Amino acid sequence: MQELIAKALTGDKWSIGRLISVFEDRRPDAANTRGEILATLATHPASRRGRFIGMTGTPGAGKSTLIGEIANRLIRMPAPADHGHVANVAVLAIDPSSEVSGGSILGDRTRVNFALDEKRLFFRSQASDRELGGVSRSTFQVARLLYYLFDFVLIETVGIGQNEIEIQYVADRIYLVLQPLGGDGIQFMKAGIMEIPDVFVLNKADAAEAARQSYYALKAALSFVRPGEEDRVSIIKTSAQTGLGLDELSENIYRAREIQPRRSMADKERFYFEKWVRDEFGRAGLRELNQTHGGAGAYIAAHADSFDQSQAAFLDEYKIAGRALR
Amino acid sequence: MSGENGKQTHRIYDKEGAASSDRPWIFRTYAGHSNPRASNELYRSNLSKGQTGLSIAFDLATQCGYSSDHSLAKPEVGKVGVPVNSLDDFHILFDQIPLEQMNTSMTINATSMWLLALYVALARERGEDATKLQGTTQNDIIKEYLARGTYIFPPKASMRMIAEMYEYCLDHIPSWNPSNICSYHLQEAGATPAQELAYALANAIGILDLIRERGKIQGEEFHKIVGRISFFVNAGIRFIEEMCKMRAFTELWEEITRDRYGVTNPKYRLFRYGVQVNSLGLTEAQPENNAWRILLETLGVTMSRKARCRALQLPAWNEALSLPRPWDQQWSLRLQQILAYETDLLEYPDLFDGSLVVESKVDELKKGAREEIDKILNMGGVQAAIESGYMKSGLVKSMSERMSRINTGEQIVVGLNKWTEGLPSPLLKGEDGGVFKIDAAAAAETIKALEATKKNRDQARATAALNKLREAAKNGENMMEPSIECALARVTTGEWADVLREVFGEYRPVTGIEGQRLGLEDDRVRALRARIDRFADASGHRPRMVVGKPGLDGHSNGAEVIAVAARHTGFDVIYSGIRLTPEEIVQSAVEENADVIGVSILSGSHLELASQLMDKLKASGAGEHIPVIFGGIIPQYDFDALRAKGIRAIFTPTDYSLIDIMERIMDVVEKKETVPA
Repeated sequence: MQELIAKALTGDKWSIGRLISVFEDRRPDAANTRGEILATLATHPASRRGRFIGMTGTPGAGKSTLIGEIANRLIRMPAPADHGHVANVAVLAIDPSSEVSGGSILGDRTRVNFALDEKRLFFRSQASDRELGGVSRSTFQVARLLYYLFDFVLIETVGIGQNEIEIQYVADRIYLVLQPLGGDGIQFMKAGIMEIPDVFVLNKADAAEAARQSYYALKAALSFVRPGEEDRVSIIKTSAQTGLGLDELSENIYRAREIQPRRSMADKERFYFEKWVRDEFGRAGLRELNQTHGGAGAYIAAHADSFDQSQAAFLDEYKIAGRALR
Repeated sequence: MSGENGKQTHRIYDKEGAASSDRPWIFRTYAGHSNPRASNELYRSNLSKGQTGLSIAFDLATQCGYSSDHSLAKPEVGKVGVPVNSLDDFHILFDQIPLEQMNTSMTINATSMWLLALYVALARERGEDATKLQGTTQNDIIKEYLARGTYIFPPKASMRMIAEMYEYCLDHIPSWNPSNICSYHLQEAGATPAQELAYALANAIGILDLIRERGKIQGEEFHKIVGRISFFVNAGIRFIEEMCKMRAFTELWEEITRDRYGVTNPKYRLFRYGVQVNSLGLTEAQPENNAWRILLETLGVTMSRKARCRALQLPAWNEALSLPRPWDQQWSLRLQQILAYETDLLEYPDLFDGSLVVESKVDELKKGAREEIDKILNMGGVQAAIESGYMKSGLVKSMSERMSRINTGEQIVVGLNKWTEGLPSPLLKGEDGGVFKIDAAAAAETIKALEATKKNRDQARATAALNKLREAAKNGENMMEPSIECALARVTTGEWADVLREVFGEYRPVTGIEGQRLGLEDDRVRALRARIDRFADASGHRPRMVVGKPGLDGHSNGAEVIAVAARHTGFDVIYSGIRLTPEEIVQSAVEENADVIGVSILSGSHLELASQLMDKLKASGAGEHIPVIFGGIIPQYDFDALRAKGIRAIFTPTDYSLIDIMERIMDVVEKKETVPA
């Protein structure tokens, strides 16, 4: 395991690929392994402290292509000031799974253009695993690992346009990708997602007139939903075809490192621990957590501040580990 | 029975009123392999046997704009056609074949402009009259995006090149068909007759509308362009329906040319088409049966005089096994000759005029086609329907339905899903196993010739020619003449295409797999899903399968059907697309920590690709951990060699049952060594 971790820190793709699988593993024992891996990484001199960038928006808005372009730009920017390494980027792309079979087709890879054997770039696909909320049950788990391995973790959500709220509990910055005249603005207003993004990206802006109209429509929508804020929220026009705005967007993401994350890792762990208890044990489990143990924060604190130990302990305590597997 | 002027209704009369019979269509054989020298020998031998036109098959590298020394090209050189790197190759390819007298059809699309430029340059250097050249460049980019896959540039740039070729040919090579609207490949990709009609006609409308909008050609000259549009059609086994489809095509085209473009001259409203009869329905099982299928399919496009093809090429009985040998091609040519010269087919006027059954069937097809055409035009035309993935999804849906019907036995394919017991075929008993094998040394000869061309040319002239091409591409000028200068200056295929890639960029396809469903629900499917759920419980994750297509052949539908079937049974499928290097497929599998890699190959390069893939897998460290399976047109005699290279399972067209395939893939997944976490 130590060797696997050491190799993963050098960018070895097979080692990273296998470590990610540990964080996607749904068997109860995997929690302990995860705890060990993270403990090693937290103290390893070569480990990083990444930022999570959420990319959301409707299907067809061009998220994948845009992410490919941005990732290729980020690795060419100077090493982040807080460590001496060259910047590296991981992409975690989530696609929906079939309600009937649980299977999925994950096709986002075909839309990014990454050079072969480029160690500074890594791409991983995830199935939403019938989860609503735009991210998968193991997205947060995998994010915890990638935090130590990459400077930037770009998370591409399912992009159904609704129920995409959960990304805010993983991502430090959220970018909403819209396409001109897509009518997306209205949809997002209805879905209540307009309140969340830090930056709006108006993609496919090569059609100048449509882009201009959409820009003002978006501004107008923002003045309703976020009054007083409409001048502070960034709107960036981009086009993968002409290259418009790609540098600006990449720099905006790069600067995310200087901005305080909206939630600390401990905050995120509390949220996801509670969510996990609800998923696995339902409302009864949640009542138990809150009433008997004083809530997620207290439970994690009582278990050496470890998310993984807390999961293992909670499973152990309630002796229904078998049910945890779906 | 006697008609007017004492003429008999059942006879054909010429202009002078004398009883006559029709001239046969042009006989062609789709051919080309190894290198220009070997292909030239084959062409001359075919012509001496009574073939009346040439149909040139190019290798995938030439079709995709790569010279033979490019890493993507190397496994493909000379495999499915002849490699052409420069004008020097064309001199050899057409040696002793008089261009002015020949009708040459080139199956070439994304690089059509380049191949036509080479042909014109060849005529000029040989002192022949380029204005007299006759033939066709296939040049139908729409069906490349939809089905065939040898595209290079995005739709807008590709359509511009097609329009420029029409504009150039009108003045300079009036008897050349600059493009051939192909419904052929749509049927191969699963299109229903109505889809085939609609997509092909919408495609023709797309080209003509574009040329009209460009405004460079107007009035009577534009009508001439309408008259240059020709089609390349498929003929399937339901040969009555196919005959009706051809009549529907003819009638719809008459309507469109009249109503949409105001063409009055009947000469410019003729539906002119060539045919290759269906290869998709040819089976690997009991391959001798294919001879009958080819014969029946031929009837569909020759029986009705009003809708008879202008040129016909027949596949060989053993095409589902591998490339045909010269003898196999001769056998198919003989079929055409017997039909045209021994039977009385060409002595009669149209046999189906007045048939109520045929009329009703034609009306039904036309109605379905019109609805679909309107839908596409309302969407913004054929380019928009490509970019949105609408047409592609339509085809993948029809294809999965067809596969389901064969799977359930609802559609009978003799020897494949019914009457499968048969005596072994003596046709496969020869020393060569009944198939053609390519001489491995042929590719080396091609690459050597390429090096010699580059060494001996006037480099300054080549550079200047490429610069001129780049300028024309950027400024929106016609690129034909600059391309001809490139040809004369001994620019190579790869260099020509690279300059245009730089200006136009490369196309990335919408896959047809989104939103597709498979109508397969039975006990075996449910049992497999349960087995996959058990695997997920025991291993902590759903089985993950990377599906990809290495090499340049772009027939993506097989891979897509497998991807859809895998999801349907509960796999997480990482679809990594087509035209990948083996290295790229391995990288996907490694990053995704896949449980199995599924690779689809139809180009015949499976041995080379297996070596490249397994080497890379080993180098990545995942060597023993990720099993690899192959599917496609892979002959039985290569199975051992593939297994020796570590390929764990091999699927061919005989494995038509999707659930069988998925069960066998799951066997491979479960047998792989478990990797300790």
